[in-house]
Amino acid sequence: MNFKITLGQYYPVHSPIHSLDPRVKLIATINFIVVLFIASTVVEYAIIAAFLFGSIKIANVPIMFVMRGVRALMYIIAFTMILNTLFAPGETVLVQFWRITITLEALQWAIQMSVRLIMLLISSSVLTLTTSPISLTGAIESLLGPFKKINAPVHEIAMMMTIALRFIPTLLEEMDKITKAQMARGAGFDTGSISKRVKNLIPVLVPLFVSAFRRADELAMAMDARCYRGDVNRTKMNELMYTKADFVALCFIFLLTAVILIV
Amino acid sequence: MTALDKIDMEIEQGSFVAILGQNGSGKSTLAKHFNALLLPSSGTVWVDGLDTSNGEHTWKVRQSCGMVFQNPDNQIIATTVEEDIAFGLENLGIPSAQIREKVNAALATVNMEGHGRDTPGFLSGGQKQRIAIAGIIAMRPQCIVFDEPTAMLDPIGRAGVISAINTLVSEGITVILITHFMEEAIRAQRVIVMNDGQIVMDDTPKNIFSQVDKIKSLGLDVPQITELAHGLIHHDINAPKDILTIEDMLLYLQKQKWNQEKPNQEKMFSLADSESASFVDKKTAHISIQNLTHVYSEGTAFEKLALEDINIDIERGSFVGIIGHTGSGKSTLIQHLNSLLKPSSGKIFLNNKDINEDKENLKSVRQRVGLVFQYPEHQLFETTVYKDVAFGPINMGFSGEELKKKVEKALELVALSPDLHEKSPFNLSGGQKRRAAIAGILAMEPEVLILDEPTAGLDPKGRDEILQQIDILHKKTNNTIILVSHSMEDVARLAEKIIVLQDGKVKYTGTPKQVFSYAKELEEIGLAAPQISYLIKGLEEAGMSIRSDIFTVPEAIEEILRRLE
Repeated sequence: MNFKITLGQYYPVHSPIHSLDPRVKLIATINFIVVLFIASTVVEYAIIAAFLFGSIKIANVPIMFVMRGVRALMYIIAFTMILNTLFAPGETVLVQFWRITITLEALQWAIQMSVRLIMLLISSSVLTLTTSPISLTGAIESLLGPFKKINAPVHEIAMMMTIALRFIPTLLEEMDKITKAQMARGAGFDTGSISKRVKNLIPVLVPLFVSAFRRADELAMAMDARCYRGDVNRTKMNELMYTKADFVALCFIFLLTAVILIV
Repeated sequence: MTALDKIDMEIEQGSFVAILGQNGSGKSTLAKHFNALLLPSSGTVWVDGLDTSNGEHTWKVRQSCGMVFQNPDNQIIATTVEEDIAFGLENLGIPSAQIREKVNAALATVNMEGHGRDTPGFLSGGQKQRIAIAGIIAMRPQCIVFDEPTAMLDPIGRAGVISAINTLVSEGITVILITHFMEEAIRAQRVIVMNDGQIVMDDTPKNIFSQVDKIKSLGLDVPQITELAHGLIHHDINAPKDILTIEDMLLYLQKQKWNQEKPNQEKMFSLADSESASFVDKKTAHISIQNLTHVYSEGTAFEKLALEDINIDIERGSFVGIIGHTGSGKSTLIQHLNSLLKPSSGKIFLNNKDINEDKENLKSVRQRVGLVFQYPEHQLFETTVYKDVAFGPINMGFSGEELKKKVEKALELVALSPDLHEKSPFNLSGGQKRRAAIAGILAMEPEVLILDEPTAGLDPKGRDEILQQIDILHKKTNNTIILVSHSMEDVARLAEKIIVLQDGKVKYTGTPKQVFSYAKELEEIGLAAPQISYLIKGLEEAGMSIRSDIFTVPEAIEEILRRLE
């Protein structure tokens, strides 16, 4: 109750990027990642980086928040960098000692991969920082809309994602409460062998599942009472609509793609 | 199982009807028939002229008769307030342009303007419940059924929801309110009482509640004021038996011949004095909290000061009530007492020993300070009641005969009969589940028992039983008991000392007499004094001489009898 858990990392400020259509942002991000993997020269990466940091500037999000995603995966990035440096093929030997050989090509490759990875993380952070999880869900539903024609349960999947987004914080809070209640009865969670520890979780997991089912039951009833009947004749308050800004944004990302492809 | 048996009733358009009854009397089942969530096994339900069992009418019926449920968390679907309110409208296929307008109007009706973009998770229980109501109002129903909408709320939240309901009533919407709070039912035009799936009473609130004995025999309660009138009548005072409100009682008493003799009561020390007054010497205190400060998420953007420089000493064997509104720090405070939370600064002593001093001590602290959480039945997990209660003592290392003795004693203390011991805890009734969960703590034989809102969500009979058992337990074991509650009536009934928390600080401490004589101040910080305190205040303001330190019905009867002679 005293610490609120929010899912995702939406950063609620107003900016031209925030107000873009989530579909455009999703497409642009995917497009950006593709471009990231097409690029190969330093100049190309410089252009891409300029584009990326330009969008962060426009998005009005503190750089600290953007870097958070990178920081979380810092060890993985460092690890892949070391692996690439050591084991990627190359000919121009830079350093050689014991059984280790570091080549120029391997080092270049390692740096390139790290830059790609970091920019990939940053670009997806920009997406999640400027787009609430719920509008992202809406974007996915809308983009996958054509698949409804072949009876794919697109609406149902989107609804499930929405409900999951809504209830994960509630269930985490609940888990915290149950854990504390069992600790008050002398339960310990961090001692013993692995099988013992798994067994220790039963007093938390059983009540948690019971509660999740009860909530699901009540929620279904509440949705019924509010006339929910699936995707039948349903409208949306926030109908997704492309605006001029969206076209401008798409033009920019296509321009970037074109530049990278031509250079 | 027959949940409802030959119900015949009509509800007029625009009326305000309250439905009362113990848990399991069929209230909710009945309510779910009003909007085709359930269909009758036999018989017919007509809503606005439509037969609910006709599948073609289902959506029309649900649109014209909305329903608000008990748990605010479990009826909010979306991740922003406005999206949630729009949910019903979207289902009805209302054009986008009109939805927003209706959403804003609904927000205004429940007094939540400006919260449209909020995340429901960050709102209080009362606010969430008002959002749920707005979600129904937006669909423009002619009737709204409320199924215990205030059961999980604190006094502030409850007042907000009730005021929203009053707005709806004044707008001519039919309101059907299921509740366990009699003060809410007295505002209705008509009260229906259910028992065993049947309607046993159906009349105006005055005619219903004046039958005090019958209401009590049905496991229900009457407003304190009505109980007071009933008590006076019992002593051959000619008071009207259908008095429901404080105002009515004041009017009646003002017309009587009143003995204006100065009240003979000890001088009370002012709250300014009592603030610094410690209950007991630090050395002999059972629990001593010294300079306790707790900060959540220290050093992050979410940093929050939850407790600030708390100093409390609790005497061995005493019964202490802790009151405060949601977010005042009550839960944070009690979780420090068995070391579930560690102080950011300050110390907690149990029997003069710092509980956080050595880590080995932890298990023994948790055994000696038993903490019963809010809705403790939500932590039941074993296959039988017996096994569940044994969980604590087994963790403490007990086995064999000793374990058996402890478990059986605990189950006896909460009055769960032996035939229930081998049943699954999930098959018990609501009140029984709660008692089984409390037994799970008692089985560890703690010397301090802390109960967080032990009566929340129970019906009047369940509330009474739990409180009675806590009282008996205190007298039998002479344990130190700490009762956390926002029900002032509960605290008034049992506690010897009261601690009032506000914004993470101790606001007042004192005996119930001292604390409750400040009804107005309590109200200002979002708490309410027992109804009787308000009556006494009202009498004083009318210039009638009366003891000002009265807060229970029996005391009030005694004092008023003396004044009327």
